[in-house]
Amino acid sequence: MMGGAIFFYLVAGVTLGGALGVVVSPSPLYSILSLIAAFLGLAGLYLSLSAEFIAAVQVIVYAGAIMVLFLFVVMLLDLGRDERKPLRLPVQKLFGTIAALAVFATILKVIESDSILTGARGIYPAERVSELGNTQVVGRLLFTEYLLPFQAMGVLLFVGIIGAVVLARRRTG
Amino acid sequence: MAPLEHYLIVSALLFTIGVMGVIVRRNVIVVVMSIEIMLNAANLAFISFGRFLDSMDGQLIVFFVMAVAAAEAAVGLAIVILIYRNRESTDVDEMNLLKL
Repeated sequence: MMGGAIFFYLVAGVTLGGALGVVVSPSPLYSILSLIAAFLGLAGLYLSLSAEFIAAVQVIVYAGAIMVLFLFVVMLLDLGRDERKPLRLPVQKLFGTIAALAVFATILKVIESDSILTGARGIYPAERVSELGNTQVVGRLLFTEYLLPFQAMGVLLFVGIIGAVVLARRRTG
Repeated sequence: MAPLEHYLIVSALLFTIGVMGVIVRRNVIVVVMSIEIMLNAANLAFISFGRFLDSMDGQLIVFFVMAVAAAEAAVGLAIVILIYRNRESTDVDEMNLLKL
């Protein structure tokens, strides 16, 4: 029980520290590396919530594929000069932080209310899922109950590929 | 396992950091990364609620959100490359025209 709490605070710290690093680091390259750390921390959080399949997908898809995409684009473009220019709005950082903290206060208000967990209980307690196997349950649901969204997702990814190729193609003539 | 509130507070903090990044930073790539952080904050809330309500729906929805995020990153970064080719800059302050 104690070890679980220590693990939670460790990965939560890695996640939040990484996310903060994305926002404060001056170079986009360091932002990407911090974001990879944040995503790995999130995978740890998913593990502590016994969502093993999603944790694996988080590492493979997010920390792997998507971040490589970001890394390629940053190395393709010549960045870093823009950030040294003076801010057009000098108070932007102050107001941005205040606005973000207002968002946080609003969410915190909801979290601290008593009616946070009133939904109907599902039929998949963690013990039953670990008995059946997390990946098996996800796969079974994906191809039965969630078949239509799953196929729509395939269409979406197809359209995304075509859109990216068409947009980034060099115009000839 | 930590109580639900702790997970939700981590999720809220993550979302706040994402909002801050979108407002404060001017490099469009960092802004796109901040949007990814916000998507992940929502994912964490989904999985936490699913776990504490004995439901698998949260995990399934997170799976779909990840697919949408992948498509969004691909198209968004293609747009970033397009903007850079036309304006030699990735500063969001300079993107003030609808035509390139």
